[in-house]
Amino acid sequence: MASNPLFILLCSDQHERLQMAAMIASVAAVSDRPVQVFVSMNALVLFGKDTPADKRYQGGAFSKLLKEKHAPDALKLFDQGKELGDLKMWACSMALDIQGWEIGHLVEGLFDGALGLTKFLSDAENGQFITL
Amino acid sequence: MSPMSERTKIDARGAYCPGPLMELIAGLKLINVGDEIEVLSSDKGSANDIPEWVKKVHHEMVGITQQDGYWSIVVRKAK
Repeated sequence: MASNPLFILLCSDQHERLQMAAMIASVAAVSDRPVQVFVSMNALVLFGKDTPADKRYQGGAFSKLLKEKHAPDALKLFDQGKELGDLKMWACSMALDIQGWEIGHLVEGLFDGALGLTKFLSDAENGQFITL
Repeated sequence: MSPMSERTKIDARGAYCPGPLMELIAGLKLINVGDEIEVLSSDKGSANDIPEWVKKVHHEMVGITQQDGYWSIVVRKAK
């Protein structure tokens, strides 16, 4: 039986927060827990398909350690969560508009589409909500 | 190991959480019910997390043993 759904609001472009979001989303999804991730604000840029790899993972001291120790790649974790579990990812339609992007500007295969905040909040009413 | 079951080995030593768990789950997709996977992991967190995941999703823990600097975790696919 599926567990209480999990809703993750990812706004930060900090590597550590992105990594935590990816870890939570992927592990929950493969543990029979439906997960939805809503990506907005600075976080959206991390998912740009033309964003250089060295610009994608910027953060503090722990970010350096994550890279030095070759921790699992955050985007790959999201991808594994989608492949192996019930994980949906949404790009904030407002953030896309502000950035001047379409959904096609984002890395291929990760996003299920663009979504408004109202719909995401409505869907999240009966689940657990985490902001990163 | 039961007489007819097969065991696949996944060497995830050097991978950090949740890498070993993800490799196990991907491996479970490829084997038949009743077959087993042995995961080798040097990640201490995964040595705790994998049994917890197995319990939650109703597969079967066959055993976990600590070796020299890593763990051997054997899981049977139950569904």
